[in-house]
Amino acid sequence: MTSKTRIPIQLQINGHRHELEVEPRVTLLDALRDHLGLTGTKKGCDQGQCGACTVHIDGQRVLACLTLAAQAQGRAVTSIEGLADGDGTLHAVQAAFLEQDAFQCGYCTPGQIMSAVACIREGHAGSDDEIREYMAGNLCRCGAYPHIVAAVRQAALEVASSMETAS
Amino acid sequence: MTVHEIRTRQSESKRGDASDGAIFAEAVGGRLSRVDGPAKITGAAKYAVEQQLEGLSHAVLVESTIAAGKVRSIDTAAAESAPGVLLVLTPDNVLRLNTATDWLGTPPPDVPYCPLARDITFSGQHVAAVVAESFEQAVAAAALVKVSYDETPAIVDLDDPKAGDGIPVDTMTKEWGDAQAAFTAAPVRICAAYNTPREYQAPMEPHGLIAHWQGDRLTVWEPSQWLDGMARTYAEWFGVPFENVRLVSPYIGGGFGSKAFAYGYGAVAAMAAKMLGRPVKLAVTRPQTFTAYGGRAATRQTVALGADAEGRIQSIVHRGVNETSVDGMWVEPLGSVTSIMYATPNFSSRQNVVRVNTVVPGALRAPGENPSAFGIESAIDELAYEVGIDPLEIRLRNYAEQDPEVKKPWSTRQLREAFAVGAAAFGWSKRPREPRSMRDGNQLIGWGVAAGTYPVRRAYGEAMVRILTDGSVEVESSSIDMGQGTYTILAQTAAEVVGVPAENVVVKLGDSRYARAGVTGGSRLAGVMTGAVHKAATAALDELVGLAISDPNSPFHALQANTLVVSEGRIRSPRGDGPDVSIAELLGSVGREQIEAMGDTTPATWTAEDRYKNNTTITMALPHTEGDYSRHSWCAHFIEVRVDEDFGTVRVSRVVSALDSGRLYNPKLAESQWKGGIIMGIGQALLEEGIVDRRHGRIVNNNLADYLIATNADIPDIEVISVGIPDLHSSLLGGKGVGELGIVGVAPAIANAVFHATGKRVRDLPITLEKLI
Amino acid sequence: MRDFSYLRANSVDAACQAAALPGAMLLAGGTTLIDLAKCGVTEPETVVDISHLKGLDTITVDDRGVTIGALARMSSVADHAEIKSRFPAVSEALWQAASAQLRNMATIGGNLMQRTRCPYFRDPANFPACNKRTPGSGCSAIGGVTRGHAVLGTSEACIATYPGDLATALVAFDATVHLGDRQVAADDFFLLPGATPHREHAIEPGEVITAISIPASAAAGRSTYLKVRDRQSYEFAAASAAVGIEFEADGRTIRDLRVALGGVATKPWRARAVEEALKGKLLEADIVKQASLLAIEGAVDHGANHYKIELAPRVVARAILKVGETA
Repeated sequence: MTSKTRIPIQLQINGHRHELEVEPRVTLLDALRDHLGLTGTKKGCDQGQCGACTVHIDGQRVLACLTLAAQAQGRAVTSIEGLADGDGTLHAVQAAFLEQDAFQCGYCTPGQIMSAVACIREGHAGSDDEIREYMAGNLCRCGAYPHIVAAVRQAALEVASSMETAS
Repeated sequence: MTVHEIRTRQSESKRGDASDGAIFAEAVGGRLSRVDGPAKITGAAKYAVEQQLEGLSHAVLVESTIAAGKVRSIDTAAAESAPGVLLVLTPDNVLRLNTATDWLGTPPPDVPYCPLARDITFSGQHVAAVVAESFEQAVAAAALVKVSYDETPAIVDLDDPKAGDGIPVDTMTKEWGDAQAAFTAAPVRICAAYNTPREYQAPMEPHGLIAHWQGDRLTVWEPSQWLDGMARTYAEWFGVPFENVRLVSPYIGGGFGSKAFAYGYGAVAAMAAKMLGRPVKLAVTRPQTFTAYGGRAATRQTVALGADAEGRIQSIVHRGVNETSVDGMWVEPLGSVTSIMYATPNFSSRQNVVRVNTVVPGALRAPGENPSAFGIESAIDELAYEVGIDPLEIRLRNYAEQDPEVKKPWSTRQLREAFAVGAAAFGWSKRPREPRSMRDGNQLIGWGVAAGTYPVRRAYGEAMVRILTDGSVEVESSSIDMGQGTYTILAQTAAEVVGVPAENVVVKLGDSRYARAGVTGGSRLAGVMTGAVHKAATAALDELVGLAISDPNSPFHALQANTLVVSEGRIRSPRGDGPDVSIAELLGSVGREQIEAMGDTTPATWTAEDRYKNNTTITMALPHTEGDYSRHSWCAHFIEVRVDEDFGTVRVSRVVSALDSGRLYNPKLAESQWKGGIIMGIGQALLEEGIVDRRHGRIVNNNLADYLIATNADIPDIEVISVGIPDLHSSLLGGKGVGELGIVGVAPAIANAVFHATGKRVRDLPITLEKLI
Repeated sequence: MRDFSYLRANSVDAACQAAALPGAMLLAGGTTLIDLAKCGVTEPETVVDISHLKGLDTITVDDRGVTIGALARMSSVADHAEIKSRFPAVSEALWQAASAQLRNMATIGGNLMQRTRCPYFRDPANFPACNKRTPGSGCSAIGGVTRGHAVLGTSEACIATYPGDLATALVAFDATVHLGDRQVAADDFFLLPGATPHREHAIEPGEVITAISIPASAAAGRSTYLKVRDRQSYEFAAASAAVGIEFEADGRTIRDLRVALGGVATKPWRARAVEEALKGKLLEADIVKQASLLAIEGAVDHGANHYKIELAPRVVARAILKVGETA
């Protein structure tokens, strides 16, 4: 598979398979936003410096702006649009963001939420300071940080208790 | 999908948030969660440039690499033959545009406007643009445009020897008494210079637009703090009627003052769209956000305070300078806090602007008040140490009981309460006076205080309220929500007035087809729009009740009541006898589709031209000192810093701020805005600085890795306390300003805390480690 | 970003062959390559994606030390239990680097190939002169904004700071870089700019980093990475130090000491003079602070970066005292 012009790629996004033909240089971020109309993933800097484009690849939080779309072939991509349940029930992190007013303009929010979900899953939400450090890769110019910490703390507890209930 | 189709879990948060005694979350003053929240947390909220249009092409700008000189030639051959390229725009093939009226209403000169420059006045100026089928193709082709220049020496910043003293701005001069003589005669005198660097709004959503022409009608999807003002600019540029331009801006990813105007790149995109006959998207890159429009101008102030031995101020002599561009004018009013914060019998403030080779600076959260407070609130702290009294005490000792400048009473000024409440919550009374008297291992601890203020900028507004067939209520306005909570507080306002649950109110904003609105800036929107919606909703309710009473088919017709009550979406008589029907049932029985009412707060004498001016310039705004009162919001910040004594690194470890924004329409959202301002102030104090390469007159840290804004890890818990009371001189419902206030005074509070920690007074922002090491 | 071909390598050998093609560049995490391609600094003809190669991301720990596959992610290494316990400086250097997202992307091999953050290097459109990008074109940084630039290991051709954190720990603990069968000491892997700042690494065309190994040592087991910066997180170091210490049986006399500096030099900077000065000495604050001044022997500033000369020894001293005082 070598081509300077468009190449066919298949992406697995939020459980759905998408076929598209893009130039190899197209990033996952632009593929999502411009080619697939999944604009929930935001472009804040396009240079790996703000975290607004955070998505999950194979469950890990990564930056879509520094990932080629072609690189994501064969891996499972989850974007903000795929976080809530099929029936629209919000993820615990989403609900906590709303309750704690953990955003204002909302532009960094999808990235914050995707990052927070992973932060909790990684086990890096053990204390407020740990949350601050492990959420530092998501800039928020409106300054919602204390509320983001509160939301992650709240969601981490909910996730923990639901796991206890399940086990 | 709109916000309101996915109102998931909204009702849950409502139940949990009812507070403030009897106030329900849904009423004005209640802690309703953001009604636009569900859209934002699910990714469904489509921001302006995210619209998916058929045939969309992509434009990328080419910027000047010199700060002064002329474009000698532009070689577009390589770009034009690059794959996918549709158009390469240069000054040689642009459409002829008109110069547009500015925001102050200044009639434009009859000269063409060209958004691509031949004469270069700053590095990063737009000189060309490439439009291609795909974004990637446009980016690649833009790199192939070769521009050659004849470079001339630039004035790079305020410190440039060529910069000179600048131009006096007489309108900024404020004087009473004999300030110079009183200063000379004062027993205690301090005088120091305070500097702030270029700072940038850096909203997380970069600027940009999609422009689409259909005949002579232009639709622009663009993040905007001022749809009608920007629509007017586009209309005048292209010589089409105002009504032919539609601005759409449903969500705005942060503005902080930077998204109120149409800029050159907008003209480029709209021009390209017209030339190509297809929609053009132009997204300003993150580095370009540092030069496509201006951030806060660099400022210099000297503040001289003369006082008696007890620290009572006898005189303030203030001189300020801010930079502006070579061919544009920006005045950052540096004496705005200086002249009102403290009582003084003698006062003098003057200001110059200095032309340098930069993009014309612009508004950034609390323009004027922010740097002004850094000067005066640092200086009074210095005076406190000079006379040996507590920094809080000296502020109370010089408390201004009325506006010292215009000699009018304050409408409300809860600043004394802010000091008292904030100090108590912070534990200020335990503060040792001497610097360097608190430490924790290698960390020196310091406590600082500073006050802040922002004027109540008032304007007139209008809104449309509809009561629909199904009993729900719709609010329309071309004003916007960039995170302040406009969607939410207008839903609360309409819900309270009409008497329906807030979840039955749909607020539509961000489209210039809706009821027109003026600028969102200077913390005026909430006051203006709650007032307008209140009026419109009242008119709609009156008509509803009127129908219910008088329509022959109304179930209430036989009751012959004088009035009826509407609550929870149902209509009843005040005594509870007679029918009890839903709004929908009533409308059905009287055969009405909907009730529609425009409401406004504008004077009855206004003409259509007055309304146009109100919505597209700031000429119709009311001065904050109009009439019998001087109207301002106030705050006091108490801040703890920890300074590493070896490394010089400063971290803010505790913040308590008490703020007077009058009545809060939604405390939950107001607190978020206050904290946001405080957090931006922490960044301003410790991190933010546009760094100029003085050889090239170019900002070299034009990205978010090098222009440092605070991260989550830089911010501690922040306690904000409302000390406001309703101020009906300031707005119809009693609120004052929220959004700008929080940042004012944060930087001096931190600088004062750093002095308390270290004994070092830093008068140049930001307070970086090399200044303390 | 210039157009390029995309090729997925399915074996290390295939990657080596493809990497030897003119204009070919390896793509792993993408955090450097895609970033610099967007800046116009790198213009690959062919991008060879090695991120899907199997078996190159393993972390093996035994008595002799640790071997980390080149495609192991920074985050996996940072969170690895035995690396945390036996090489704490390595884990700390990693989790204090970049952001959680970038650490999930960036590989260990790619991290070694990270390029400088010099703003002049990163902006070819505005600053054509850069000896690192275009040999012989000059250095735009000298005489410009130098707050972040190096004070150690500079030359007249280049003063760009090596930005990484991990490599600072690697040179402190005598790590080895594996290029297939060839092995290079980490300290030798990074080259001083001298007159050839465009040559940054001792790696030849067609070679691929396959692993790094770090020998076990008592000093590595008792180590730390201290990073000082303007912002609390998500920023490159103003100055940093990787320090490891081993005491004699008395628990006070320094037997072995490892010191390396980050954020102040053109390559990860081993401070052997500090190590030698303190071996055999007692861990006392004054002695440590005095010896730490040796860390910046020969330092040259370019104005705005002068503070690094003050700061670096203090960071070294703090790190030594911190790790020495930890029970």
